[in-house]
Amino acid sequence: MADLDEDAINNSTTGGAHADIDLSDETQDFRMLNNLSFLDTANLSLPKRGEKDFEPNPTVFQADILSASRQAMHNALAYPRLHHPKNLLIGVYAPNGPAPPAISKSLDTVAEEAPAEKAAEKAAPVSIGAQVPADACVYVTKAKGPFFKSLGQADRWSRVWLLPEEALYLLERGTLDIRWPRCAVGDGDEDDIEDSGLPMSLQAAYACLMGRGGLTMERYSVFTGLRRLGYAVLRAPGWSESDEEKVSQAAAQSVARQGPGLAGIFSRFMGWLCDGAPTTAVGPVAGLGFHHSYDRIYRKLSLIPFYDPVTSASPSPQPRLPYAVVWHVYKPSTSFRKSAPPDPDFKIAVINARTTTIPTVSQIWTLLESTPLNPPRPNSQLYVRLKNGYRNVILAVVDQGVVSYLKIADAAFGKEKLYAQRPSGGNKNRGPPRHKFKKR
Amino acid sequence: MASQFSFNAASAQEQQPIPTKPRPQRHQRPDYRHIHRFPLPLTVRPLPPLIPHNPISVISVLLSYLTYFIAPPHHAIHSAYFDSNTSSVHVTDEKTIRALWEMGFFGKGSLSRSEPTWIEQEKKRRGLLGGVTLDEVTRQRRAERRDLKLQRARSEKLIIEQRLQAEAAAREGRTIPDPQANLSAARATNGIATTAEKLSLRKAKEAKILEAQQLAQRDREDAGKTVQSSTTEDNHPTEPTVSGPDIIEGMTITNEEHLQLSNEEAFFLVYGLGALHIFDQDHQTVLSPTFLLRKLCHHSYSPPRDSSTDLKTDDPFLVSYVVYHHFRSLGWVVRSGVKFGVDYLLYNRGPVFSHAEFAVVVIPSYDHPYWSETDERKTECAAKQARSWWWFHCVNRVQGQVQKTLVVCYVEIPPPTQDLGATSASLDIGALLSRYSVRELIIRRWIPNRSRD
Repeated sequence: MADLDEDAINNSTTGGAHADIDLSDETQDFRMLNNLSFLDTANLSLPKRGEKDFEPNPTVFQADILSASRQAMHNALAYPRLHHPKNLLIGVYAPNGPAPPAISKSLDTVAEEAPAEKAAEKAAPVSIGAQVPADACVYVTKAKGPFFKSLGQADRWSRVWLLPEEALYLLERGTLDIRWPRCAVGDGDEDDIEDSGLPMSLQAAYACLMGRGGLTMERYSVFTGLRRLGYAVLRAPGWSESDEEKVSQAAAQSVARQGPGLAGIFSRFMGWLCDGAPTTAVGPVAGLGFHHSYDRIYRKLSLIPFYDPVTSASPSPQPRLPYAVVWHVYKPSTSFRKSAPPDPDFKIAVINARTTTIPTVSQIWTLLESTPLNPPRPNSQLYVRLKNGYRNVILAVVDQGVVSYLKIADAAFGKEKLYAQRPSGGNKNRGPPRHKFKKR
Repeated sequence: MASQFSFNAASAQEQQPIPTKPRPQRHQRPDYRHIHRFPLPLTVRPLPPLIPHNPISVISVLLSYLTYFIAPPHHAIHSAYFDSNTSSVHVTDEKTIRALWEMGFFGKGSLSRSEPTWIEQEKKRRGLLGGVTLDEVTRQRRAERRDLKLQRARSEKLIIEQRLQAEAAAREGRTIPDPQANLSAARATNGIATTAEKLSLRKAKEAKILEAQQLAQRDREDAGKTVQSSTTEDNHPTEPTVSGPDIIEGMTITNEEHLQLSNEEAFFLVYGLGALHIFDQDHQTVLSPTFLLRKLCHHSYSPPRDSSTDLKTDDPFLVSYVVYHHFRSLGWVVRSGVKFGVDYLLYNRGPVFSHAEFAVVVIPSYDHPYWSETDERKTECAAKQARSWWWFHCVNRVQGQVQKTLVVCYVEIPPPTQDLGATSASLDIGALLSRYSVRELIIRRWIPNRSRD
């Protein structure tokens, strides 16, 4: 009777229960790709997924479907992908990071500004624009298209500087063409990062950009995966441990522990009067003699200290990599400005599954405490409150390119006294909800 | 109780030749709210309400105190015994079994899946009881499900066979090896071919559904009879030799089943509630909570440690008991989660009311500075708390499949103290337990595809 749960097998038709089924994990019936037209941009529509059989059978019919599906896949892959000359973006690789353009050095027509700028360059070589990150290494002179809504940072000369992951992502999706700078092809001096006209291969781009400024393959897989799904992804302050401007601590919410109050003192006195001395040394904890209510028994039973996410806001140490937030993720629907990004919708820490084990208490709680407090709404249901937790963060566990996302929330079970809840709620039939679930 | 069901669908169907409603009528559920109205095996006597400015209420409170003082209410303490061969606690007294199960869902029937219902099953099997036990309901449901699956497989197989035949016929008709021609044709006019194929696929699907419905209907019509006959065969495999119910009626069936308490449950009942006395194997001496704690800690290793060994703060029993006590003290009904690959399942009020929503995995945590004092201790502790991501995903995916939420419960292990020694006479259990602390994490999969809005 107690183990009816065994039968509670997930059924995709029950609705609401299928949050865990991810179609992208499955092999597709690729015949849907036949209906995609790459040229006809007027009526683009999302392809429909096909049906599939679960086992092979000897019919020619099935074999035909399979080969047609395979063929459709091949057709789709063999389709020549072309840069439309109108949309082609040209970026130039700057091996030494952001630098001012050569124009300001060579052309004396801007004589009034140039000396001042030169002096500034000498003093601080990256003073080319407040927003340009030091890790940026590819710049685009004529930035256009929708991507720059959430990618890159412009400098004073309206060149858009791209971080290595952003440049690689645009290169991989065929939007960007990266050129070697003149200095790299032995044409011009060391600082010359003007376009040499020589395109960089994908392999060369990986060799140059991967590993630059803390960009690991794991971080890059998470970045591209989420970008392709439409999210805007930005580096978080915890990107590298040397970063001094650190995670903006969630405004330390002064949550003073509430005193018991007069009524509390009175009830405590009454409790003391009724219960006598606690007998926790040898038990029974519930006390000998007679009991007045179950609530009181439960209150006496609570011996084990638990972690309270609200009150124990001690000044926590900075999160240490890899258990630190490295990506801020914004939903596609979020109105987003590059210059002043809002609070992220999701915070993601990237973890290599092969080199780490699951986090220890200090690792995971330092990580959680670096995120803002997001307490559950007090009037929501018990399960919702528990599942919401007080802080949450997403771990992206990467095993050689395969990413598994886990949402971690600290639930304070100890703060939700189940015994004090009203016994009513859902399930009016008062039976195990066995008929909700049916075995397939 | 389970025996009070009136589930006579089978016999009803026998009498009615064509039931208008093919589904067997649902059996009456016992009133679980009444049976399990006490959350713990302790009796509670509420005091009359005390209203400070009303002297009558004060008097009534005093009066009730006085009556309790003069005639103290009988305090039922149950008894069980510890079996050191199996390292488990057994309850054999019928009343105790019922009480422990009904008030707080403690223990498990040794011959049942969960609630001790063996005796009812047995009586039913021998035809002494008219009702149906829950285990039987489950069994029947499973049988039905299996039949349904077999039937589906059959109809699918039929379709494949028909298709094979049609294909063979087509091949003979043309004498040209068909598949290649088909393939090349498909290649040549890929788009058209696939749409046609899709159509045929849909048609096949519709036909399949129709056929299945027809089959199901036909089956349902005579399901009553077949199921009836098959179940009777199953239930009385040895009946012909025993010959008739006359002999059986005279027999009294002794209950061979006992309730087995998990060690955490037993210790909670003894130490937490004081509702149970656990006797040693000789059924003579009652084990004191302190002695019981040491014993259970030693028995949490396999083979059990010698009773002269010192306790350790990270003895498996202590760690799991801390979690058990924590969740019990919050009002959850905590039961073993081994069937789901976790340590505990948390039920709200009890397993008969709803499915468990949370599945708890216990992980010891060695964060106290004591554990990282020496390098040797550090590596040892790191090994004890390390779990691979593969293990973790395994557990998490299983919980998703059975619609539970995974809770990782970290137990902070305190450094050892003097009174844990084997020779130490005084062991303050309450103080020991309060040096542990627990933190819970809720883990769910995050699916970026579905979080986009």
